[in-house]
Amino acid sequence: MAPAILLVGTLFGVSLIYGLAQSLGLLTGTDQRTLSMAAYQNVLSGSEGVGTEFWPSLGFSLWIAGVSTLLSAAGALPVAVWLNHQSGRGRQMDTLALNWNLAFPHLVWAIGLLLFFSQSGLLARLAALLGWIQNPADFPVLVRDRLGMGIIVDYVTKEIPFLALIVLAALRSQPEDYGVVATNLGATPWQRLCYVTLPQILPSLISGSLLVFAFVFSAYEVPAVLGMPYPRMLPVLALDFFANPDLHHRAEGMAISLIIAAVVMVVAAISLRYEKRAGYSQ
Amino acid sequence: MKRITPFLLLLTILLSACSAIAGKANPSPASFDINDWDSVVAAAKGQTVNWYLWGGSESINSFVDTFYGKALKDRYGITLHRVPVADTVDAVNQVLSEKQAGKDPGAVDLIWINGANFLSLKQANLLYPDWANKLPNSQLVNWDNPAINRDFGTPVDNLESPWSSAQFQFIYDSARLSPAELPRSYAQLKEWVIEHPGRFTYIAPGPGAFQGTRFVKGALFEISGGADQWSTFDQATWDQWSPELWKYLNELKPYLWRNGETYPKDENELHSLFANQEVDFSITQAAVGAGALIEQGLVPATSKAFVFDQYMIGDFNYVAIPANAPNKAAALVLANLILDPALQAAQILPENGFGLGYGIDINRVTDPAALAKLQDAAKKLGDAATSPADLAKSLAGDSDAQYQNLVETGWRQNVLVSSK
Amino acid sequence: MKALPTYIIRFLLYGVLAAPLLLFGLYAFSEHWFFPAFLPKDWTTAPFTRIVMDPQTGNSLAASLGIAILSSLLSLLVGFPAARTLGLRNFRGRQVAWLIFFLPTVVPPLAVGMGLNILFLRLGLAGTLFGVVLSHLVPTIPYTIFTLAGVFASYDENFEHQAWVLGATRLRIFFNITLRLILPGLVVAGLFAFLISWSQYLLTLLIGSGQVLTLPLLLFSAISGGNPTSIAALALLFVLPPVLVIAASARYLNQHGNTVREQH
Repeated sequence: MAPAILLVGTLFGVSLIYGLAQSLGLLTGTDQRTLSMAAYQNVLSGSEGVGTEFWPSLGFSLWIAGVSTLLSAAGALPVAVWLNHQSGRGRQMDTLALNWNLAFPHLVWAIGLLLFFSQSGLLARLAALLGWIQNPADFPVLVRDRLGMGIIVDYVTKEIPFLALIVLAALRSQPEDYGVVATNLGATPWQRLCYVTLPQILPSLISGSLLVFAFVFSAYEVPAVLGMPYPRMLPVLALDFFANPDLHHRAEGMAISLIIAAVVMVVAAISLRYEKRAGYSQ
Repeated sequence: MKRITPFLLLLTILLSACSAIAGKANPSPASFDINDWDSVVAAAKGQTVNWYLWGGSESINSFVDTFYGKALKDRYGITLHRVPVADTVDAVNQVLSEKQAGKDPGAVDLIWINGANFLSLKQANLLYPDWANKLPNSQLVNWDNPAINRDFGTPVDNLESPWSSAQFQFIYDSARLSPAELPRSYAQLKEWVIEHPGRFTYIAPGPGAFQGTRFVKGALFEISGGADQWSTFDQATWDQWSPELWKYLNELKPYLWRNGETYPKDENELHSLFANQEVDFSITQAAVGAGALIEQGLVPATSKAFVFDQYMIGDFNYVAIPANAPNKAAALVLANLILDPALQAAQILPENGFGLGYGIDINRVTDPAALAKLQDAAKKLGDAATSPADLAKSLAGDSDAQYQNLVETGWRQNVLVSSK
Repeated sequence: MKALPTYIIRFLLYGVLAAPLLLFGLYAFSEHWFFPAFLPKDWTTAPFTRIVMDPQTGNSLAASLGIAILSSLLSLLVGFPAARTLGLRNFRGRQVAWLIFFLPTVVPPLAVGMGLNILFLRLGLAGTLFGVVLSHLVPTIPYTIFTLAGVFASYDENFEHQAWVLGATRLRIFFNITLRLILPGLVVAGLFAFLISWSQYLLTLLIGSGQVLTLPLLLFSAISGGNPTSIAALALLFVLPPVLVIAASARYLNQHGNTVREQH
């Protein structure tokens, strides 16, 4: 126990402390020797630079994370319920396929979507081949778009397998009998789903969905590849300011990153409550 | 607790093994005297030079490895370690972070650099001083040329040594457009864009996308009626003309690709839009025009470069050595090698994949064989390049480096984000 | 018996798996493939071979593999005893320990990497393979522990006691009983750690100082280069190991009945 706690706790704790210090203007290579909330002020209410972008970015991040999470949860349910009814080798293969989907790094997934869905991507070429469009501009903008649809598609296709596997685990840990009893009492399959199955898996689904939300909200690679110059998701904004050669911007980047971390921790805490309700499933 | 002891033991052994591998000793910095070139070469022998440069172009990477890597090894016994960065600002940051952490020697020996990145490091006093004029090949460089001794208006002060030259140009596809249809000024460009909605865009100005910044600066020069007033910084001039600039760009905006709601973030994204017929023009900086891009398969073979009649910004790019570079001698040797006439001749040929212009002044080359090589290479630029006469006629120097940030942040706020 | 939904879901499930590989294949083995050509005209293996043969690709593949393998081995080594305690014992501070492991699985590598950046520079760990491995351990150890703790939660220690009573040595008990019972979980936990480390971009970028080049870094650099052929070739190279690793451990994945957890 001790080495693991020591290693993880120290590295993680120190990274937060150093991060906090930098966001307060210390250790950023400037001459500042006192604590200052300037970075947070610039981020939250600055009239130029980072201040003009933070709130739109926050809104955009919440939008992307919210929609991705809802769609993933909605998509994961039928997949899990369906998979639960499969049996034998087919089911094993399907479960493996879900795992495989998860093993694709997000970065690669994003590149694939870009090559496939862009206005001159494979899909647009197919449309041109069929004579539906003449120019790339005739093809709808599906990636690197204002609404972040490309980013959402990336996350949804990757998170459905993740949530499906979580829900599947919850389904399998439930006794079959309730369903049988309900059927014997004359419940339709639809009623059975709504009143028996759903309540059983809801805590796991919510807990998993919140983890998805936290992940989407704080991940960098996908919006970096599939995003637009404006609005940008918060992690992209944070790294951009952190990596700015003007050292004064470092604190601002660090402040945004800590704000992201704080949001994520709150979401994770709520997720934990639901997970407790779902039973110890780690 | 007893149970974990063996694990702890194993862990310790593993960790120390790792650090033994990781900490393979930095070569002790052999001493040299910059005024005695032989001592530099002697000190550099056996060193590894860590060259941080933008790694996005496979052909530039392979040019560097093939031409410099081999020559360094064969002639000087130096190993080239090319460190590709997604953006030069990453290398600058590395040096800045090292300063924050008080790390000396650091990790970076040489950076391909110019403009705002040079200014950052110069202002922070993080560059190795007084060396560029001490290189033997420095005599081939025309240091009297203001385009060379000033980098975006910032005095070079021997803190960096030139590598190559570049000039802003457009690319069109001769299979799609005829030369007569091409716009020749920003005013004509606006007419063209309005007649062909959705067929033009430019690169979003910003760090790492200076071609976009340059496009916008060119417009600023034309609107304000001249480039010269921008070579020194003056806030009042900026305040006077920048609203006109935003007005021009916002007038273009609704007719741009995707109605100007987004812009390609770098040159390569624009090349790809151009190659896939999403837009009709791309942008390049290369002496060979579209030549190197055709070689790389990034644009159609019928692509050609062209320029407006005026305000096509040209400049030089450089290499600089951080003050905390661990292998300064090797970095000096490499910076000198870059100016070697034979390698300068190699760098402009489209088939070698680099494609930027000369950093040296070929009139200063006395060796007849080397001179012939350079002249010969200049003739082989191919018909995808702009003619040297047109390039020279349209050439404008870049503005003071302080405008860079104003243009970039101003553009974000007044053009990109603004819903005007 | 097979209903339509089954076909649809299966089609999506496997289609989503195969499509990117096919797409990368098209781009990786062709040149000058522009809109509106639906299929490439110039098929060639030249760029692919050039990229795969490039020493830099080889080096970063080796670095990626080395870092991922080292990270997962270290995670197992450090995580095993912790997971055993966490899964089998109830002790004071269990909640706290659990929280310490839980937080790094949700707090993004962005925050961790940016925080560790300066510290590691000061310690001389930045830009070293060791420093990068150390930073990867922050997310990999907790995932390993949680996976293994789940396994230990249903682990029956009585087997060990019986062997002990029957006179088996500690070492024998460990290898013949503990390890055998726990093996599927161990494989799966190692697999998670491998995948997390393998796809890690930010921590490597922020800690590696450009000195430690892994495939994701090369891939990002290629994306900025915009040549679809190189991007696709590197992407293929990048997905291959995870695909192979999952295939090789398919048996254990099914036995373990767990999921590949979210990789940051």
